[in-house]
Amino acid sequence: MNKKDAIIKIEHVYKYFGQFLALEDINLDVFKQEKIVIIGPSGSGKSTLLRTINQLEKVTSGKIIVDGVDVTEPGVDLNKIRTSLGMVFQSFNLFPHKTVLENLTLAPIKLKKLSKEEAEEIALNLLDKVGIKDKANNYPKQLSGGQQQRVAIARALAMNPKIMLFDEPTSALDPEMIGEVLDVMKDLAKEGMTMVVVSHEMGFAREVADRVVFMDSGKIVEVGTPEHFFKNPIHPRTKQFLSQIL
Amino acid sequence: MDEKKTPEVKIEVTDGAAIPIEKDEGLFTAWRIAFFGSIGIIIALCVFKPDPYLEILKFVPDGVVVTFEVTIISIVLSFFVGLLTGLGRISKNRAINLIASTYVEVIRGIPLLVQLFYIYYAVGSFTRIPPFFAAILAMTICYGAYMGEVFRAGIESIDKGQTEAAMSLGFNKRQTMLYVILPQAMRTILPPVGNEFIALLKDTSLVSIIAVADLLRRGREYATSTFHYFETFTMIALIYLVITLLLSKCVSYMEKRLTPYE
Ligand SMILES: Nc1ncnc2c1ncn2[C@@H]1O[C@H](COP(=O)(O)OP(=O)(O)OP(=O)(O)O)[C@@H](O)[C@H]1O
Ligand SMILES: [Mg+2]
Repeated sequence: MNKKDAIIKIEHVYKYFGQFLALEDINLDVFKQEKIVIIGPSGSGKSTLLRTINQLEKVTSGKIIVDGVDVTEPGVDLNKIRTSLGMVFQSFNLFPHKTVLENLTLAPIKLKKLSKEEAEEIALNLLDKVGIKDKANNYPKQLSGGQQQRVAIARALAMNPKIMLFDEPTSALDPEMIGEVLDVMKDLAKEGMTMVVVSHEMGFAREVADRVVFMDSGKIVEVGTPEHFFKNPIHPRTKQFLSQIL
Repeated sequence: MDEKKTPEVKIEVTDGAAIPIEKDEGLFTAWRIAFFGSIGIIIALCVFKPDPYLEILKFVPDGVVVTFEVTIISIVLSFFVGLLTGLGRISKNRAINLIASTYVEVIRGIPLLVQLFYIYYAVGSFTRIPPFFAAILAMTICYGAYMGEVFRAGIESIDKGQTEAAMSLGFNKRQTMLYVILPQAMRTILPPVGNEFIALLKDTSLVSIIAVADLLRRGREYATSTFHYFETFTMIALIYLVITLLLSKCVSYMEKRLTPYE
């Protein structure tokens, strides 16, 4: 993979919350079809970095180029860019007043102007793929956490995004439900989706990640293949962190 | 883990009639005693002492209609004023925010009766406003501000993850508000709005002072021409009570139907 294939280019990004420096000189290229897993201690800036990619968080300085468009440029059509950037949250954030099916069809109908029938066909296929077609007419509250998160993934996929962002998608789940969500993500990875995943599921990282990014105190400390991280991490902070979570 | 789940927010009931609580179910609830008691008394009075009670009952229906007209028109208008005010109160635009907030502060600080006088007599000294319109204008301006606070609280009670999920799908702010936030906020908002409805209905009695022929005004007309003050105002009070109790029953029914998303 060469530099030209970078679908996300993060260049010298700084982010302040008031006086607090949450991201410090972040540089990272994500290539087409690449799977990046971001790890790091709590408060290290993982969510903040992920959220700057779709500009749920504005940067203080620096550039982020997504699919050829600088999203940090003022006046850029963020809503349009966001349709090609799916995001999955730790707390699912399904729309509780809509059925599962409606959760999936709302954005395609309103934003892509699909007909109800077209949108529902796509939605049902996606629900089938994530294994909860039979819950299409239920409300989110009636589903388990694992099922809700799979719906949330399907909802993001319904917009046919080029890139998927995941912010600790399994850390709000009971242990027995983590597997079903990771399986859906692994399938997605096999299909060639570009994925940026904040997660401490090291089994998933080992199996799926092309590169692992370790963050600490707002900085990227170390980047490498999963093997590199498991066999010979260089930085002492990385070693310390990995020894805690492994 | 930085995301905290905000607890379900329940907007506090500050005015209006007591909304019946599920728990005090049984044959003798406060609501039943008050409701059937007042209907019983009205019937008894009309049967055993038709002069003047039945006469009063025949004299006031016009007033009940006017009271309902003022109530319903004002509630619909103040609903929309409230929605706009609530959106203004949470707006990031400094000017809009300041206008909405100042409106709420000013209106909440002036008694409704004074507002009514102000519109009818003070503003009316420049340009004549028919009493009916002055009444609706005053009620709308006043309750629009109250309702604005209900809307603001309702919108703010929705988890910010909902906004983020909608924005991440590509919805703009307006679409997010329309398709995701407001439909959910309505559920929190409807019970207190129902409650404002009851409060507003009672407050419409104030408009009788500016010559709007509502229920109370009709009562006063009857009383001053017949000198049956005690009988007339007993009937008026009972009729207001019956209407208010009926409405509060509707509100509690609505509240019960609205809670779950299933
Ligand atoms: N909106 C905000 N306002 C102020 N400070 C913030 C805000 N969001 C995040 N921070 C701070 O920025 C730092 C990085 O937060 P971030 O959520 O990115 O960390 P994280 O690596 O995702 O941690 P976790 O593993 O707990 O999710 C934290 O110290 C946090 O307190
Ligand atoms: Mg985080």
